[in-house]
Amino acid sequence: MRNLFNFIIRYSHWLVAIMLIAFSFYLVFTHNSYQRSVYLTSANKVTGQFYTISNNLTSFFLLKQNNQQLLERNAVLEKDLYSLRAHLDSLATADTTEVNAFVRDTVESPQFDFIPAEVVNLSFSGVNNFITINKGSARGIKPDMGVISQRGVVGVVSQVSQNFSLVIPVINPKFRLSGKLKNSENYGSIAWDGKNIRQAQLLDLPRHEVFQHGDTVLTSFSRIFPRNLIIGFVSDRGESKDDNFNTFNIDLATDFYTLQDVLVIDDRFYEEQKALEALLQ
Amino acid sequence: MKLSYLYEIVRFVLLILLQVLLLNRISLFGLATPVLYGYFLLKLPMGRNPFFVIISAFLMGLIIDIFLNTPGMNAAAITIVAALRKPVMDLFFEKEEYDEFVPGIYTATGPFVRFTIFMVLLHLTLLFFIESFTLFNLTSTLLRMITSSVITILLIVTLDSLFYKRRQSEQL
Repeated sequence: MRNLFNFIIRYSHWLVAIMLIAFSFYLVFTHNSYQRSVYLTSANKVTGQFYTISNNLTSFFLLKQNNQQLLERNAVLEKDLYSLRAHLDSLATADTTEVNAFVRDTVESPQFDFIPAEVVNLSFSGVNNFITINKGSARGIKPDMGVISQRGVVGVVSQVSQNFSLVIPVINPKFRLSGKLKNSENYGSIAWDGKNIRQAQLLDLPRHEVFQHGDTVLTSFSRIFPRNLIIGFVSDRGESKDDNFNTFNIDLATDFYTLQDVLVIDDRFYEEQKALEALLQ
Repeated sequence: MKLSYLYEIVRFVLLILLQVLLLNRISLFGLATPVLYGYFLLKLPMGRNPFFVIISAFLMGLIIDIFLNTPGMNAAAITIVAALRKPVMDLFFEKEEYDEFVPGIYTATGPFVRFTIFMVLLHLTLLFFIESFTLFNLTSTLLRMITSSVITILLIVTLDSLFYKRRQSEQL
């Protein structure tokens, strides 16, 4: 008996170590969804407490960074607003009576033009949501043009009549768009699972991609949208079909409940690019 | 004696903050992330009570896990490293060294560097394999592990030569 006690006393730090390691692995297998899919038998409800605690802590530490991001975004919007105002002013005061055929147009036309429009109808009744806006082919709107709000991506124009256009929003299962996290170059695709109007999913992002709650999701290359428009913000890690890839739930930047004014993006080079790419097919 | 405990507490807190707030946002070439907090274990005196070593390492790992939303991973890796610390030290350092001996680049350059390399490789191997857990993406995991280890070792050696130089020369 004394030998047993001696043995326990002598090696008790190993026992403590083994217990702590076992506890750590317990945490690993019960909490992390990726490991859980490998070890289905140890599947358990996520211990949400850790998220709550860590979110409280990390959100506090990220306040400064978030504030900075907001300021930067504000500055960008301020700039955009200024240039749009200048553009509108120049349109309003342009003298159309004077003709000067020998002055060369020295201003290079920008690739993207923005056509403001108002939302006249929104349908959120079922899964096949759509938005109707009050500008149509009469104002130069064509199918496949991107639509954005002041906050972020809204959708893509699908059909056009003379004075109205039908927009397929992000919150429609048919909608596809490539997106990426702000701090990385890997892209995934944006889709909507039909559950929540405020949330869409970023699929097929490589698993090693580091993310944080609140990370900005931007548009990647696309025929329709300019790069680096805000789509939304990472909310949490969703269920993934493939262990190699992550799925993120993202909080959409655009609030569809209160959507009023949108901008339709007119890409001057869209037809040219499409025609060129069609040569290969 | 008391002062050295105070230094350890400060080092404990600083290393956690450094890891969570700065180093984990670094991804050099999209691969290498320095994992510096194991440095705490390297700088504990040789004869320190194993309970203290193991429990402080576990707490450190757990706190980092809570910050990084990876419960268990860092804690498991660093606790295993802490448990194996004494046998590993016996491999690299003279057994006659007194209990209060703190490994450092100026006190025992060769053994300290070898000890650092061994401990960091052990720690990061455990950490990355717990993280990916299956070996199906072996090349990418290995690449990340090796680059991260190299950068961590360089960082530890640099920090050690920077921060312990003055105290060493004062003693001499």
